[in-house]
Amino acid sequence: MPKRRDILAIVLIVLPWTLLITVWHQSAIAPLLAIRKVCHHLVKEILIIPERLTIHRQRLADDGTETRHETGPATDSKEYCSQDKDIVEVVRTEYVYTRPPPWSDVLPTIHVITPTYSRPVQKAELTRLANTFLHVPNLHWILVEDSQRRTPLVTRLLRETGLNYTHLNVETPRNYKLRGDTRDPRIPRGTMQRNLALRWLRETFNSNNSQTGIVYFADDDNTYSLELFEEMRSTRKVSVWPVAFVGGLRYESPKVNAAGKVYGWKTVFDPHRPFAIDMAGFAINLRLILFKPQAYFKLRGVKGGYQESSLLRELVTLSDLEPKAANCTKILVWHTRTEKPVLVNEGKKGFTDPNVEI
Amino acid sequence: MRMRLKLKTVFVLYFTVSLLGLIYALMQLGQRCDCRGHDMSKDQQISQLRGELQKLQEHIKTELNKKTDVPKIYVITPTYARLVQKAELTRLSHTFLHVPQLHWIVVEDAPQPTLLVTDFLAASGLTYTHLHKLTPKDRKLQEGDPSWLKPRGAEQRNEGLRWLREMGAAAEGKEAAALEEAVVYFADDDNTYSLQLFEEMRYTYRVSVWPVGLVGGMKFERPVVEDGKVVRFHTGWRPNRPFPIDMAGFAVSLRLILTSPQARFDGDAQMGFLESSFLQHLVTMDELEPKADLCTKVLVWHTRTEKPKMKREDALQKQGLGSDPDVEV
Repeated sequence: MPKRRDILAIVLIVLPWTLLITVWHQSAIAPLLAIRKVCHHLVKEILIIPERLTIHRQRLADDGTETRHETGPATDSKEYCSQDKDIVEVVRTEYVYTRPPPWSDVLPTIHVITPTYSRPVQKAELTRLANTFLHVPNLHWILVEDSQRRTPLVTRLLRETGLNYTHLNVETPRNYKLRGDTRDPRIPRGTMQRNLALRWLRETFNSNNSQTGIVYFADDDNTYSLELFEEMRSTRKVSVWPVAFVGGLRYESPKVNAAGKVYGWKTVFDPHRPFAIDMAGFAINLRLILFKPQAYFKLRGVKGGYQESSLLRELVTLSDLEPKAANCTKILVWHTRTEKPVLVNEGKKGFTDPNVEI
Repeated sequence: MRMRLKLKTVFVLYFTVSLLGLIYALMQLGQRCDCRGHDMSKDQQISQLRGELQKLQEHIKTELNKKTDVPKIYVITPTYARLVQKAELTRLSHTFLHVPQLHWIVVEDAPQPTLLVTDFLAASGLTYTHLHKLTPKDRKLQEGDPSWLKPRGAEQRNEGLRWLREMGAAAEGKEAAALEEAVVYFADDDNTYSLQLFEEMRYTYRVSVWPVGLVGGMKFERPVVEDGKVVRFHTGWRPNRPFPIDMAGFAVSLRLILTSPQARFDGDAQMGFLESSFLQHLVTMDELEPKADLCTKVLVWHTRTEKPKMKREDALQKQGLGSDPDVEV
């Protein structure tokens, strides 16, 4: 009997205190979590405003309380919301509407690599692509032409947009065996151009210096939402997301498990490829590119659909991939293709004035 | 025995005190008092910044529109649901966001506004009007019809014109004066527009014209200008039409539209005559205003987007394994 009583006594002593502590603990944590979440959303909202704004840092009064999170490199957008760090404040500035947003010291640069080649729709494609890029802060456009020399059309276009750009060119060797102007079919289109851009990045950026940057391969006929660029800005190694209209499906996407890790690919066309993803579906941190200077797209002997894998397998493993776009559930990029314009009425000699640039 | 009793009372006292304390703490939680000072200030700051952000966004939008005293451009875009619709509208909006004083009139070919377009426009950051008008069945292209068989978008463009006329009739004072200067442009959702184009069309007295790239089976079509006037049209197809010009190749002043209530697009017009059916009510060829360096520069391209291949999707759908229809594409 005394034993039971003692036990009862102990329980009755301990119970109210444990209840008190858990309730108090929860009430203290919940608002903090809410703040972090809100902060995240706020930062995202600020970064994807289409108009041009500069982002200033504002020192928050630090009351020296619970700072559980260590301060990492300034590339992570979470950084902006740490308790004792800065919260970005938005300040409006004057701007000319066609100019890109002012360069920010804080945001990682997105290096967009676009291979392009001359054809009737080239100027149109590059124009509307530039109109999209003009909304993205800290974007550096690396345009690589598939030509012997840099063409005046592209040179002029790039200069007029006002974007921060690098203009390169490399010609894919022609297939001399076939008649006409066909390129070597064994080399997938755009490969040499993308590799040249990677080489340029490695030559320009020293892996010692702490350049923060993200590398993205953007073809000139796809469609990109502005949100996509903000999603990829926080890439640590390689981030991935769904792409619409590829592989004969409405969209292809990585398979993400409950723990937020990529474990497979939701595709019909060869889902067992090491990286069954389209060129527009991933972005790589610049540091990783510089850290592995031997990683390039394979030029020859690449099966259809394995191009992306030829580069990515030298850089990351499946478990290193970071899923974006709400755990790969939102479509932020579309693999659109432009119809080849029917030019029957030009005839053999050409009907229109060849001096007019289209 | 005395010791024991004492312990018992002490224990009971302790228990009641801690129970009261717990109840008090729970009450505290319900009230959310100011005692959590540090977190409150962070919370406040966040909501303050939020409010500031929203205010600035509104301010920017109005500033962009008020920034210069330039004539407004009303862009009428007919659109219809298909796979690439969201992509087309997205990249079109990126172009329009750069143009000051632009009012986008989106007219859906649908019995009612769709969620996709509604949500898209709300998030776009543009000044817009969302309308809808269903094309009657007999005028609609059937599956397998070539795209040139029936004129498309006529009803929707007419609906846009109707809205403009309604707005014009209701406007007064300064608003009405501003409308006198405004310009109306018909922009299809798959074409490509340069930013320069909008500046060319902004000052239009009646109807202004310019070349259009990649149309009419040629690299570009254009009006031929002599002595500052349009004398004929350079086109590879049926040059004898009253106005052999593409929808993207002209803009009309709003004043002219408001004073010509009978001008509308004829949905029953022959192939290629849709533009003529509208323009012949408004101007004659010698009244046209040539833009784009006397019609020598191409500032707009009649691009068309391929229909994405869905054979694998279709195969999966048959098995009931199609991609998640809740994911908006």
